[in-house]
Amino acid sequence: MIEARDVSVAIGGKRIVTNVDFDMRPGEIAAIVGPNGSGKTTFLRALSGDLAYSGQIAINGRDLAVMKPVEAATVRAVLPQATTLSFPFTVREIVRLGLVGGRSGVLPGEDERLPERALARVDLDGFAGRFYQELSGGEQQRVQLARVLCQVWAPVLDGKPRYLFLDEPVSSLDIKHQLIIMNIARDFARRGGGVVAILHDLNLTAMYADRIFVMHRGRLAATGSPQDVLSDDLIEKVFDCRLKVGALPPGNMPFVLPQSAA
Amino acid sequence: MADQSIAGAAGVMATASEGDRSGRARIVILFLCVGLVLVVLLSLTSGASDASAVSVVSDWLLGAAPGNEALNARDRLIVYDIRLPRVILGVLIGAALAVSGAVMQGLFRNPLADPGLIGVSAGSSLGAVAVIVLGATVLAPFTAALGTLALPLAAFCGGLATTLVLYQVATRQGRTSVATMLLAGIALAALAMALTGILIFMADDRQLRDLTFWQLGSLAGATWQKIGSVGPIIVLALAAMPFLARGLNALALGEATAGHLGIPVQRLKYTAIVGVSAAVGASVAVSGGIGFVGIVVPHLLRLAIGPDNRYLLPASALLGACLLLLADAVARTIVAPAELPIGIVTAIAGAPFFLWILLRKRGVVDL
Repeated sequence: MIEARDVSVAIGGKRIVTNVDFDMRPGEIAAIVGPNGSGKTTFLRALSGDLAYSGQIAINGRDLAVMKPVEAATVRAVLPQATTLSFPFTVREIVRLGLVGGRSGVLPGEDERLPERALARVDLDGFAGRFYQELSGGEQQRVQLARVLCQVWAPVLDGKPRYLFLDEPVSSLDIKHQLIIMNIARDFARRGGGVVAILHDLNLTAMYADRIFVMHRGRLAATGSPQDVLSDDLIEKVFDCRLKVGALPPGNMPFVLPQSAA
Repeated sequence: MADQSIAGAAGVMATASEGDRSGRARIVILFLCVGLVLVVLLSLTSGASDASAVSVVSDWLLGAAPGNEALNARDRLIVYDIRLPRVILGVLIGAALAVSGAVMQGLFRNPLADPGLIGVSAGSSLGAVAVIVLGATVLAPFTAALGTLALPLAAFCGGLATTLVLYQVATRQGRTSVATMLLAGIALAALAMALTGILIFMADDRQLRDLTFWQLGSLAGATWQKIGSVGPIIVLALAAMPFLARGLNALALGEATAGHLGIPVQRLKYTAIVGVSAAVGASVAVSGGIGFVGIVVPHLLRLAIGPDNRYLLPASALLGACLLLLADAVARTIVAPAELPIGIVTAIAGAPFFLWILLRKRGVVDL
């Protein structure tokens, strides 16, 4: 359970996020959508414990503000939008860093096999010995996701759900790997964990999210299921462009078709 | 891959997986341990006295047992009271400088960070020179209260102040700009050297001679007493460094990500800064400015075993000790019976190496 009440964040005196309420239950994928500069990443960083905020954030009932780094590392793993690396580590060494502080949740002694298993899940079999800096952007993004998966390998630890915070996890991936990554997120949620993901692709969001938080100019513009949130009016207003929302059977899953720019 | 075949041939990595260089790192560390023993023996036995390695070892093992005539009294004096302190000091300082370089590079997330290059050593020098010149006058209460610890402590404070200022200037929102770091280092070093210059201007003739030689860097004049005053500081600082290894590894992904992984980043940074300042300060206090060890050693090792600090730090300590002893052997013998300041030897060997690193990294490192 993640509960955020009235969260505001200011960076350098400028208010980026204003009075956001955010609730999600384990078993869910919560998608944060919104135009560039709407405060999505800033909110996720506050949720990750990177930024000072006003208001209340609690993860599994524990106040985020009092959590030590290692406790936070045990309940959630964070995939940042971009990662720079300063030394020539191999892919395996990067993925293994996921095990550095938290608890993967596998049996003792199995930790050393996790990097290979995580790499297989993100479709990077055989990449363990490559140098990270020599990979393409999309491959690097998947390596980082494998590292994040190692950190919270078991979605539930000691009876408590754990969370993945993903900032644009599919932004530089081809369509096949977008689906692979989103399936990993769905699987993590089905097994009792929770996923918070910032996404730009509204159709992918409609396919996978259980709950959507729409941010606009630092505030929460709407929240609810894809069916509730994805409407012509709201999406056009928030993204400031012309879009047509339709529905696909079965289940009337919404889809968003862009029209020419307004 | 080549690294797998090397490690595989050594037969240690039966269960190792691709991309895991830890087995190979352990082999390298083992080799370095053996190498250090050999270099220590070489250093103990090379020089004007012709005590052989065999006689030194047998004297060690048998001590002054009756009938043990391996070393005569004169050789024993040379080996134990002149060469042994010098060798121990060389090992301590070589290890301290190399490990400090590796930690500094991990902290600043850049392979070019080195205590000598970015002004930390200059700050330490300022502290040390202040004690040497003003120890009997302005700083008399300080030196009287601390005795032989005054010099290393002053060097430590100088290094600490420089590193803190440098870190504040060069790091913004968790990102360290390399250009700012190097330029700020130049500015701080210039300031420290100018202040040192003022002190040298005030120094009397005897102090002047001490200072000049000391500034060039030298292990000459190593005594058991000096080891007693700086040895514990260096050993303590070196002993703390392995606890930083995992955190420094995580820091390679950036401060925010290191925090997400459960590393207490602020504590890590300040421990690293204090540890490096202590190790560099103590080294500078006894041996002056010995440059380039901190940049050459970790760089060579990263090529061989990768950047994992769990192995890089101990390996740096060993290789740093080996190289400094070898440099000292060169310094002692190349113009015998006189001797060259060791700082000159490390600079002549290290500066071209540094240029080579720059050439290789051009276009890779964002300067």
